[in-house]
Amino acid sequence: MRSSLPELQRRFAAALLDGAGEDARIGAYRNTVTANYRNALGATYRVVRELTGGPFFDTAVDAFAASHPSTGGDLNVYGGELAEFLASYPYARELAYLPDVARLEWALDEAHRAADPSGTPASTLAALAAIPGPEVATQRFALDPSCRFLHSPHPVMRIWQVHQPDHEGDRQVDLRAGGDHLLIRREDATPVIERLPAGDYAFLVSLAAGADLSAALEAALNADATFDLGTALRTHIASGVIMAVAH
Amino acid sequence: MLDRRPAVSWFEIHSENYFADGGPPLATLERIRADYPVAMHGVGLSLGSTDPLDREHLRKLKRLADRVDPALVSEHLCWSSVDGRHFNDLLPLPYNEDALDHVCARVSAVQDHLGRTIAVENVSSYYAFPESTVPEYAFVAAVAARTGAKLLVDVNNIYVNARNHGIDPAAYLAAIAPASVAEIHLAGFDASGPIVIDTHGAPVAPEVWSLYERAIARFGPVPTLIEWDTDIPAFDVLLREAATAQRVLDEHAIVAA
Repeated sequence: MRSSLPELQRRFAAALLDGAGEDARIGAYRNTVTANYRNALGATYRVVRELTGGPFFDTAVDAFAASHPSTGGDLNVYGGELAEFLASYPYARELAYLPDVARLEWALDEAHRAADPSGTPASTLAALAAIPGPEVATQRFALDPSCRFLHSPHPVMRIWQVHQPDHEGDRQVDLRAGGDHLLIRREDATPVIERLPAGDYAFLVSLAAGADLSAALEAALNADATFDLGTALRTHIASGVIMAVAH
Repeated sequence: MLDRRPAVSWFEIHSENYFADGGPPLATLERIRADYPVAMHGVGLSLGSTDPLDREHLRKLKRLADRVDPALVSEHLCWSSVDGRHFNDLLPLPYNEDALDHVCARVSAVQDHLGRTIAVENVSSYYAFPESTVPEYAFVAAVAARTGAKLLVDVNNIYVNARNHGIDPAAYLAAIAPASVAEIHLAGFDASGPIVIDTHGAPVAPEVWSLYERAIARFGPVPTLIEWDTDIPAFDVLLREAATAQRVLDEHAIVAA
C-alpha cells in the first residue's frame, strides 16, 4: 500500500533524528538543522558560548535540542529553557554561575522583543495624583512590558560585562563578590541591565506580579528595612519602569 | 543602511524576524516601509506539514501583514514539523496527488485567513521521495493553478535541484505559467560536496545567471531578489549583484509608450 503523507513525514523525521542507516541526502538536512540551532542559540547566548568555548557550547546545544525540541516555526523564541537545562547538565556542573548567565541573556533577548511601553512618567504621575488618598494603598501598577528580573547568588552582571566586545580593561571577576539583584529592560531601543538595591528589587518584583502598593511595600521592607517608598516611586516612575497605574 | 537611502526598489524581510510585540526591529521596519515597498517572506509556517496549521504563527503573520501592507506575502512549498516537533528547516515534500491535495488545502486556508493571495516558493532539496509520482515542476505549477496562489520562483533552487535530482531546468521553466510568477529569487550555492547545497552564502553562479536570463525571457521583468544571508559580504558587493540582475531585467523590460 502507498504510504500516506503523515507516514512519509514521520519516516523522514525519524531518519533525520536517528542517523542510523545513514543516507547522505538526509544527512545534509541533519547538518542544516543542527547548525541552525547552534547558530540561533549561539547568537542569543553569546556570553555563555564564550564562557564554555564553542565546541562545548555546540555539544550542549545538540543535547538541549534533543531533550527540548523546538515546537514552533519562529526560531527567535526558541531556547528559553537553556538555563534550566544547563543547571542539570553534568558537564557544566563546575560552572555554577552558568545557568544564571543564561537567564540574564534570555532576559535581555526577551526585553529586546517585548511590547513597546504605552505610558510616560508624566501620564503615570498625573494618574497617581488623581487617586483618592484612601485608595492609594490598594493601587496596582503596570510595569514597562520589557522589564525582567533576575536574582543570582553570583556576580552575573560583572561576568556579562567583561564579556562584552567593547569591554576595556580588567576582565577578572571575583566569583565571591556576592550576588546580584538585576532589572533587565529595553531603554530607547537598547537592552540595559541595572543593579537594584534588595528593597527596590522586592518592591518591583511584587508590583510586576500584580501586588498592590501596600503588599509591595511590605515585601520591600522585609528585604531591606531602610527601603523608602517615596524615593522608590519617584525613581521608578521617572525612569519609566513603573509605566502606568493599573485599572 | 537607512541613512544611505540605497537606490533599491524594494525590501524583503523574513516575516518571523518581525513577529515581536514591539522593539527596535519593528520600528526600523516602519521607517523602511515609509519609503519603500516591502515583501514578507516566511520560513516557518510549515505549509506542507500534516500537523494542524499553527494558529498562533498565523495570527502573528496576519498581524504583521496588516501592519506592513506588504507588496507580497510568500511561504515555502515544504514542511518543517511533524507530530508537534519542529525542525526549523525547509524539508522536502513527496510530489504526488496525496501531497498536492494537502498542500492546496493548506495554501487556500492560509489565503483565507490572511485575506490575500500568497506566493509559494519552490525549495532546494537534497532528498527525493521514491513515492513521488510527478515531476517537481508539475507539482509546483499545479499548486498555483488550483489555489490561485502566485509563485516565487527561486531560479537557484531550480538549478540546485536539477543538479541533485537530474531535472531538466528548461522543462521546469516551461511548466510554469508566466502569469503566476510574482517574484524571483537568486542565490549562491556550495557544490564542494557530493550534494549541491543552497547556502545563500556565495555569489550567484554563472550557470544560474544564464538560467535567470531564460526565466526573465519567459516570465518578463519580474521583481528579483538576491538572497545572501550567511557569510554576508559588504553591502557594495550585494549592490553589484543586484545591478547584474537589473541589467537582465532592463534588457527584457517593456518600454512604456
